[in-house]
Parts: sequence; structure tokens; C-alpha cells
Amino acid sequence: MVLKLVIAATALVMMLLAVTKVPLRYNARNVAVRWKTTAMTALAFTVVIGLLTVMLGFVNGMYQLTLHSGQPGNVIVLSDRATDEVVSNLLPTDVGDLERQPGILRDGDRPMASRETYFVVNQPLRNARAGRPGRRFVQVRGLDDPELSARVHGLEMLPGGQWFSSAGVREAADAGDPRQRELVEAVLGEGVAGELGRDRDPATAASWRRPDRLDVGDTFPLGGRTWVVAGVLNSGGSTFNSEVWAKRSLMGGMFGKDTYTSLVCRTADAESARKLKEFFTTQYRKSSVLAQVETDYYESLSNTNKQFLYAIAFVTAVMAIGGAFGVMNTMFAAISQRIRDIGVLRLLGYRRRQILVSFLLESLIIALVGGLAGCALGYLANGLSATSIVNAGPGGGKSVVLRLIIDARILGVGFLLAIAMGLLGGLIPSLSAMRLKPLESLR
Amino acid sequence: MISPMPTPAKREPVVRVHDVHKYFRRGSERLDVLKGLTLEVPDREFLGLMGPSGSGKTTLLNLIAGLDTPSEGEIWVADQMISGMSESQLARWRTRNVGFVFQFYHLLPVMTAYENVELPLLLLPLSARQRREQVKTALELVGLSDRLHHRPGQLSGGQQQRVGIARAIVTDPAILVADEPTGDLDARSAEEILDLLGELRESLEKTILLVTHDPRAARRTDRVLHLDKGVLVESGVADRAE
Amino acid sequence: MKLGILIFRNLRRNLLRSILTSLGTVVLVFVVTLVWSILAFLQAATEEKTRNLKAIVTERWSIPSRLPFSYAATLAEGAARSPQDVRPLDSMNWQFYGGTVDPEKISRESLIYAIASDPRKIPTMLDGLESLPPDQEEQLRKDVEKLAATRQGVIVGRNHLTALNKRIGDRFKLFGISTYMGIDLEFEIVGAFPPGRYDGLAAFNSDYYLNELDAYARRNNGRKHPLAEHSLNLVWLKLADTDAFNRVAEQIESSPSFNSPAVKCETAASGIASFLDAFRDLIWGMRWLLAPACVATLSLIIANAISISIRERRLELAVLKVLGFRPWQILTLVLGESVLLGSLSGLASAVATYAAVNWWMQGLKFPIAFFDAFFIPSDAMVWGFCVGAAASLAGSFLPAWSACRVKVADVFSKVA
Repeated sequence: MVLKLVIAATALVMMLLAVTKVPLRYNARNVAVRWKTTAMTALAFTVVIGLLTVMLGFVNGMYQLTLHSGQPGNVIVLSDRATDEVVSNLLPTDVGDLERQPGILRDGDRPMASRETYFVVNQPLRNARAGRPGRRFVQVRGLDDPELSARVHGLEMLPGGQWFSSAGVREAADAGDPRQRELVEAVLGEGVAGELGRDRDPATAASWRRPDRLDVGDTFPLGGRTWVVAGVLNSGGSTFNSEVWAKRSLMGGMFGKDTYTSLVCRTADAESARKLKEFFTTQYRKSSVLAQVETDYYESLSNTNKQFLYAIAFVTAVMAIGGAFGVMNTMFAAISQRIRDIGVLRLLGYRRRQILVSFLLESLIIALVGGLAGCALGYLANGLSATSIVNAGPGGGKSVVLRLIIDARILGVGFLLAIAMGLLGGLIPSLSAMRLKPLESLR
Repeated sequence: MISPMPTPAKREPVVRVHDVHKYFRRGSERLDVLKGLTLEVPDREFLGLMGPSGSGKTTLLNLIAGLDTPSEGEIWVADQMISGMSESQLARWRTRNVGFVFQFYHLLPVMTAYENVELPLLLLPLSARQRREQVKTALELVGLSDRLHHRPGQLSGGQQQRVGIARAIVTDPAILVADEPTGDLDARSAEEILDLLGELRESLEKTILLVTHDPRAARRTDRVLHLDKGVLVESGVADRAE
Repeated sequence: MKLGILIFRNLRRNLLRSILTSLGTVVLVFVVTLVWSILAFLQAATEEKTRNLKAIVTERWSIPSRLPFSYAATLAEGAARSPQDVRPLDSMNWQFYGGTVDPEKISRESLIYAIASDPRKIPTMLDGLESLPPDQEEQLRKDVEKLAATRQGVIVGRNHLTALNKRIGDRFKLFGISTYMGIDLEFEIVGAFPPGRYDGLAAFNSDYYLNELDAYARRNNGRKHPLAEHSLNLVWLKLADTDAFNRVAEQIESSPSFNSPAVKCETAASGIASFLDAFRDLIWGMRWLLAPACVATLSLIIANAISISIRERRLELAVLKVLGFRPWQILTLVLGESVLLGSLSGLASAVATYAAVNWWMQGLKFPIAFFDAFFIPSDAMVWGFCVGAAASLAGSFLPAWSACRVKVADVFSKVA
């Protein structure tokens, strides 16, 4: 869609270039003569379009995140009418029956199904920076078999790590306090490892394993216990990046929930996943559940993105209108300065539409120079990381760490907006130039 | 395209103006500028138009040059009736058939002499090479071969007017119209420009219509028409004796 | 002053340019006003108060917080055990309930989130309802009385009236969703919240809710509903000052009554701040990218317009100099023109935004965290004026500087 529009817009510019008989260097030189005011107009474009690219990069990052979190062959099962994982409630007996249904792949005698309990946990921050809240929310996923769950979700452990043990705890080598002797083992997403790494006391920086995040063997406090990092997931670009994985049976006791929230079942392919979802929805009778193909589930989480997208579209449109007024000023001034030129061209036989096109092209030149600079500026934000929240509706939601992704499509939108602003701002002045009577303009 | 045309045996009138009226309406009032004017201009004539301000001489020139249309009457230029053409037909016609020379030169300030002269050619289906040749020839004819890449601001008034003339002849039009071409020049430059117009008439066999206040300029023409209040008052061959 | 008249005349000289610049200012100040209104609201919500503050008691570790209803009475007393202990001035229990009017198709429109509480606490404990205009206050008082008298009554937000297509006096049924599965409630709409902040909220009687939780067990052979022991989500306390808050927080967090689960007590401001932390980069972007970009664009547009005007008037400025105008007077002339235009347009924009958002749109819909709609504060008029003035000053300073340094000789030599 964007590509088509870009092609259309390029074709429009090419067509204008082909139609115009007034040499482009006439416009270019006039622009150069008034370079200060032209630069201001172009710079306004740079600001507006640079901002647009960054904002769209943010939303794109969120879309990509939700897009890459789900597997097309997976079906996620929540309790019926659950709007979010955190409010879902599946009994252990139900889960046991659900995962034995046909259609779910098997690994030897085990079904390829990940039993999960999702918690959001308060973590008080001991040395919160000034102006920042004194606690954060940590997303904890309690799992029975982390290795199986990772395979279901298509995630891998970064080298050097290992899955947590079946007990989910290990003895601390050097703890004096007996209550802290038992460490809770956790596997962290890379994003949350970075977040938690920022809590460390900078004075101890010399002893850090990694400056940017916690690494295997590091400890952190959560829920009144000390946790140790058993491994770090290669989870960049998915919502799992912001999760702490630990032994479910342990978590249930700590955070007061002994049921499951979700069961993620791996099937052969997207088609089988769709069938399994249908089966759970229409034929499965033992308990009433809400089954969704995992990719659909994550797509529903991108509702927030839509909201942002509307807000961005609105703000950008308003700013673009403001910018277009600036171009209009520039172009009206350019035209009033060159009324004689227009008169001469008309006397020499140039048609009205050729005058129109010439000035339109001039405003497009300004717009494109400014707009492309804006795209370039915005592109600098590509890859920066930001926090946000994704959710499907009111309540719930997952906080996520995402990367701004500024791709060709977004640059294309920036280019289109530049053209649109150039046309919008250039059209009315160019029409007025076109309507000048040659004889009167020479008087 | 700038090549001497074969001399016709008989000098056919290249411009024919027949019973032309031009009036403007201002509210309920009608302002008659030209009142039933008839005249013929033979091919290759250098015609002067004189008259006090408001006599209608510039209006007449504009009508013949296809910049305006008469309220009544017919105008023929080189066997084409231009008084019935639409605005865009006129624009196309002007490019090929009329060359303009203005009092204030009206060159585009950001373009070089060469580029200014090239402007009318851009509207014609010519190759870049053909254009280059014609522009160079035209600038040679006006004696500015060494100023091709100067901008108007870097040229004297006389030189600018030469560029203006080169631009007027570059499309090899049938007629040249010049509205006070020496009005903004000092006496010496004015003489040079008039010399140049005379030479061009001879060498390129152009018909030239010159509107002027300046009796010295009028003296260079073949014939002078005097207009007053929209009618021709007298006509005669200008005194060519210096 | 004569200069003032000259400034006005200059603005009218190129009316088209003045209008275009003014329109550009209006739309950009509009964006700034919206952004700052949201930021100001969030800031106010997270700003710690020192007097008459609210505290929230929730489950210590887990989110969403689910406490036994048996905690409510003790918490309302601030867990005071001895006469010397501090007691809260007021309190309110929050029991969330979520249901859909259409169990077949759960959508954003069909979902309603409601709180069950003691109706009489609504006017005193909900933020923003204690300072209503007299007519709205009177209406709310009547609605609350009616709710207290109607067991299955509910007061809804305006969003619900629209989404349900119901009027006050109508009835509707909600089917419990998520953890509320199995609890279906039937309501009679007895009133509506005043427009604005509570457009998305519904409130009903705690008694009805608790009763329905008990009824669930009777219907299911004594098997209790999973929420039966965890139906209390949070308790709000009103406290006289920071000192009282610190004492009460200490009383609650050290109380042996709250072991399973443990609880925490924090100020409302810090609780809200924690929730908003997930949006911190968005908020940062609004504050430090979006708003400045608007102001920068505005400055550029004004700078452009003023530069054009000055270039067109070089001769005139030179004449003024010949006539004896001093450079600072010319500087004032140029700056005055742009600042007048900028500040007035900015003010007009803010006033129009205020009127449009607050009266016509009845709040700006921008759901972030648990805030639904935002209003433009009256401060916005001051911002609009100042942003317009500041941006135009910034934009026109350089052009004005170059104008007042016009060299008379240069200008005339160019003209000659």
C-alpha cells in the first residue's frame, strides 16, 4: 500500500517534471537566492517528518514485537471470557485433559504443550532514582518444564546459561543468613535482564559480569526472596524479552495463585493450529475455554498500537497543516517577487499550466529536501530501545521493552507526507501564479 | 531556422488590421481605446507607432502581438486570423510568430544570457543541439557571443536589451514587436539598439513594429503612424536624413 | 505609542501572510496545548500531596491485588490497635467486577468494568468529585442516595450509556468475564457520573456483590467462587497529612492481621506513578520530542514569515533610519509585529481548544493507564499566549537583528 503510494507520488513528480517546460534550474536558482527563508521552510519539514518517522518507528516496533511473539502453529488456551492472561484461571485437572487432545504434537510421550502461570509482581526499588516511582512491575511466568516451554515458543537460551532445576531453587554458596541461603532460580529475557541490571549499585560496577545487564550467576531481589539468574533467553523482539521465567510450583506459593493461566499447545502448522482452535471452541466440552491461534492472540494485543497510530496520525496531520502554512508563505512571497518573470514567460508563450507546474515543483523541491532530511534524522532513532505497554483492552497489559524499527515503509510514509505537504502548501500559491495576467504582471 | 527568407516578388502585407475596436468597461462606463482602426503592414517593414499616452498605441501593439483580443474587427498576421483565437491558441501562436522586445528588458534575473535566450525554444520540439545552435546564432547576431554565461545583473542596460532582442529573434518569428525598447537606455546605447534592429530587419528580413515616444527612434523607421484617441491621425515616411 | 500603531499597520499590510502565519500558529499551539494538558494532568495525579492525601492499600507482591474482604474493616481503621494509633479520616473499599452485556461476543463496547463499594463513599473519596459545580454536585448527591436505596442499582459513566444505548431508569444484565465467570449481575441504572474523568466507570452496591458471591456457593453444592475469599481489590484511605500517612502505613504494614497475603500501603500519587512507569518513554516522547518539535516548527514558520517581510521592506526600514529611527526602535518594530501575531494567535488557539475539548467534546479521549479522558486546564490560556510569544520571539530575533542593522547606504545603492 505504502509502496504503491510512493510509486504513485514518484510518478506524479516525474510527470510534473516531464510536463514542465520551465527549466528546473530556474526554480533551483531562485530557491538558492532566497536560501535563508527556504531553509527555514525546509527545516520545518525536517522537524515534522523526523518526528513522524520516530513516532511511527515506535509503533512499528510494537507491531513487530507482537508479531514475533506468537507462533503460527501454536494455540493459546485461556479460561473462557478471559480478557488477558493475568485474569485467566485454568484448573490443573483441566490443563491435564486439554493437553491430551489430538492435534497437539508430541515429544516422545510428552505433549508439546507449555503449562504456564503468568504473574505480575511488585518489585520495590531500593535505590530508585529521584523522580522515578519506588517500585516496578515484573512479569513472571511460572513454568513446569522451561526447556519444553522454550521449544514451544521457539526461544533459545543464550550460551552459558541453563534451565532452572526441577526444584527451582539452589543453595547459595556464601550466604550467611539462613533465610537467604536458598536462591530462586530464574531464566530472564534479555530486556528484563537489562532493566534489573540498572538497579545495581554503581559503586560495585567493577565486579559486574556485564555492564549492560544481569548475567548468569547474578542475583536480584523479588517478592521477598533472592533470585539467581540461571540463564538468559535470546528473546529480543518478543514480549518474552520482558519476562522472568521460574518454577511454577514455587511461584504459586509466593504470589498466591495455584492454578494455571494459560496452556500453549504446539501443532504441526498454521492449518492444524486453526483446527485445534476450532475444536476447543466448538467441540471440547470438559471445560469451557478460550482458545486462540497464538498469532491472533498477539495481534489482539496490538490494540494499543492502533490507539497510538490514530493519535500519531492526528498529531502529524495537524503539524503537517501547520507546516503547509509555512510553505504557503514562502511560495506566495516567491511568486510576488517574480511576478515579472511570470509575465515574461507567459508572453513568450508559456501556458498557464506550465507556470502552475513550475511553482508546484519548486514547492516540492523545498518539501523533498526538508522531508528527506527529516527521514534521515528520524532514521537515527532506528534501533533505540523504549519501554511501552501492550494490551488488548482496559485492564491488564504487558510492559515490554521494544526497539524502534524505522524501515522502508516508514521512510516511504515520510516521503509521502513531504510530497503531500509540498503539494498542499504549493498548490494555492501556484494557482494564484497561474492566474496572473501577463500584461498586468509586467506593468 | 535563422536563415534569410527568399525575397517575395511583391511585398504582401504581413499584418492586416481591419476595423478594429477595443473598449474596456469600467462599471457602466465604456472606455473606447481603439475606434475602428484599419491598417496594413507590408512584409519587412520597420513601422513606428507614435502618439501621446493613452492614445492606444500599446493596445494596438498588444493586439497585433496576440497578447489581447479586439472587441470588434479582425486581425490577420501572416495569413492567420489571430483575432478569433483562444488564449491557449494565442500562447502557442506567439511562441512561433512574435518576438517581443520590452522597455525594461524583462530578463529572468537568475538565468544567464544564454538561458534567457533559450527560454522560448524550450516550448518547441527541438533537440538540445538544435537549441544550442540557434541560441548561439542569435547571441552572435546581437554581438554578445562573449557574454553567454553572464546573468542580467552582470550586464549593462544596452547589453541586457541585446539579450532581449536575441530572445525575440531566436524562434525566427514573422514579426518583432518592440515597446519603447530604448526608453530605459542612455543615448549611445539607444542608438546601438536601433542600429541593431535596423540590421536585423535587413539581414533577417523581419517585420518590426516599434512603439516609441522618441523622435530619434521614429526617424529610423520606414513609416510612422500617429495615433490619437484611438484613431490614426496621420501617417508618413519618416525623415531618414540625419 | 506611535510604534504600536505602526506595528498594527504592518500586520495588516500583507494580510494574507499574517493570516497564514497566524493559522500555522493556531494549529501548532493546538497540539502543544493538548500534549501539555495530558502531561499536566498526569503530573498532578502523581504529585505527592502533603495535606489531605489519599493512600492505597493493596496486596504486597501480586498484581492484580486480591485481598480477603475480611481485611476491609481493619484497614478502614488504619489497622489501629491502640487509642494512640492514627486513624484515617475516611476510607473506601474497591471491589472490581468485570462483565459483558453480550457473552457471545466480547468486545470493547460490550465490556463494563465496575466497582462495588459503599455508595456514600463515592462523593467524598473519588478524586475530582469533591469539587464539582453546584448543579452537578446536587445531582450526584441525589444519585448516590438513590443507589444506596436501590440494592441492584448502578451509577454509570456516560460511555456506558452510549455503548449500551440505555437511559437512566433502564435495566441491563452483565455476564461475568475472566475471574468473574459465574457471577452474573442484573442492574438498574439509577444515575450517571458527571461528564469527564469517570466516563468509563460504573459503581454499585458492595452488598449486592457479596451476596451474589455467596449465592454462587449455594448454587454449586457449597463450592465457593474462586474470588469468594479475594473479592477486595484495594482500600483507599484519606489522611490528614504526610505524618498521618507515615504512621498509618507503618501500622498497616506491621500489623499481624495481614499475613496471607501481605499488604502494602502507599500514597495514591506513588501508586499511580508506578502504573504510569510503563508509559515513561511515551510520556518522555510527548514532553521532549512532540511538544518541542511543535514549538520548533512554529518558530521556523514565524521566522520564515518575518524574514520575508523584512526582505520586502528593506527600503522602508532604510527610510525609517534616514528619518532618525534608532536601531532598537526598528528592532522593537519587527519583534513587536511577530510577537503580537504569535501571542494573540497562541491565545486564540488555546481558548478555542479549551472551549472545543471541554465543552463541545466533553473531554479529550486518550486512554492511558486507567485515565480515560483529559480536560484542558484553564492554565492552557496562559501557555498558549506564552508559547506563541516565545516561539515568535525566538523565530524573529535573528531577522529582526538583521533588520535593525540595515545599512542605509547599501539599500539605496541597490535601489539606484
